[in-house]
Amino acid sequence: MCGLAHYLERHGLPTVAIALIGKHAAAMRPPRALAVPFELGRPLGAPNAPEFQRRVLGDALRLLARTDGPILETFPDAPPAPAELPPWTPPIAPARTEAASGDDAAIAAAAAAEIAQLRPSYERWVSAGGRRLDRITGKAPEEIVALILAFTRDPAMASPMAGYPAHLAVKFAADDLKHFYYEAALARPARVTDLEMDDWFFARTLAGGLIVRLRDVLLKSDDERVRSFAATSFVRAR
Amino acid sequence: MFLDDMPEPQRSALLDHLMPDLGETPCVGGPPLARRRIALVTTAALHGFRDPPFVPGRAEYRVIPDDMDMGALVTSHVSTNIDRIGILNDIDTVFPIHRLRELVAAGAVGATAPRHYSFMGATPPMAYAELIAEVADEMKRDRVEGIVLAPV
Repeated sequence: MCGLAHYLERHGLPTVAIALIGKHAAAMRPPRALAVPFELGRPLGAPNAPEFQRRVLGDALRLLARTDGPILETFPDAPPAPAELPPWTPPIAPARTEAASGDDAAIAAAAAAEIAQLRPSYERWVSAGGRRLDRITGKAPEEIVALILAFTRDPAMASPMAGYPAHLAVKFAADDLKHFYYEAALARPARVTDLEMDDWFFARTLAGGLIVRLRDVLLKSDDERVRSFAATSFVRAR
Repeated sequence: MFLDDMPEPQRSALLDHLMPDLGETPCVGGPPLARRRIALVTTAALHGFRDPPFVPGRAEYRVIPDDMDMGALVTSHVSTNIDRIGILNDIDTVFPIHRLRELVAAGAVGATAPRHYSFMGATPPMAYAELIAEVADEMKRDRVEGIVLAPV
């Protein structure tokens, strides 16, 4: 981020970088930066807080007028508290552990049943205008389950996405599947964090368990780059 | 997650990550904000769902046309640490396009640029050095006079 700011400014374009990690901005000294005391991943502070987001953006934009760089200002306020919403509860009962231990056909059937349980909530999310992050591969959740099972059985299979190595293609598919679950789980307004959602998905759903298995298969790859990718790209380190 | 809530050793690893020294870059001036055309740059690996997803480690970018349906944006960022809940609930949490338009409507900002740009963070910045010349040329053609870069 700060590197891009340096390069763009050197091409004659005025920049201001919002910085979630002030220490990094201080080290990289971009021409202008606004350090923000927000959660990682939330450079404008919080979702559905337009007034606060406008303040953050306005403060960043105002730095453009200055030419006494490197400028590093700090936004003074913490993000607003989340709206008063009921605590989140999982939309379905936890998957039975024995469901993940049968043969592939049995696992696929159990996963299809889990997906079917979530589909009404997912459709409610979509029909209410909710964002759909679950469409990178264009595959339906049941197809993704089949793909993950096939890859887990044969990690040397051909990539299902032209131009992308197989391990990256299954990562995109895994994200599509995860996002289908997240979207279904967000259909009922509730207070929930990314961590709580991750904990539910990976520990309490069959689909999440399949992605953990997928990660574990990739961790055994002969290719060090694939092992390194697997270690950081499927399940959040806790 | 706030940085201070991040467990060790991830917190220290992130905080103490050795940042490249790109020296200092003189600030470029410009007209008053109310007359500037502003482009957004995100490193959240956002793109339209029909666009090809990002490849980790490859220096590349996607264009987000100002007039595209922002509801079609997805992220192919590979990091497991990206806060998906914020993005799912409100794209302006990472890409403040609607807030920028409001500032334009209020007269505080001149205009939005016709094109915005998306990168995937975690790619070493030096990898972008040449590619940025191309992006900068496009921005100049669009008469951009200010860029807000938002991380993720």
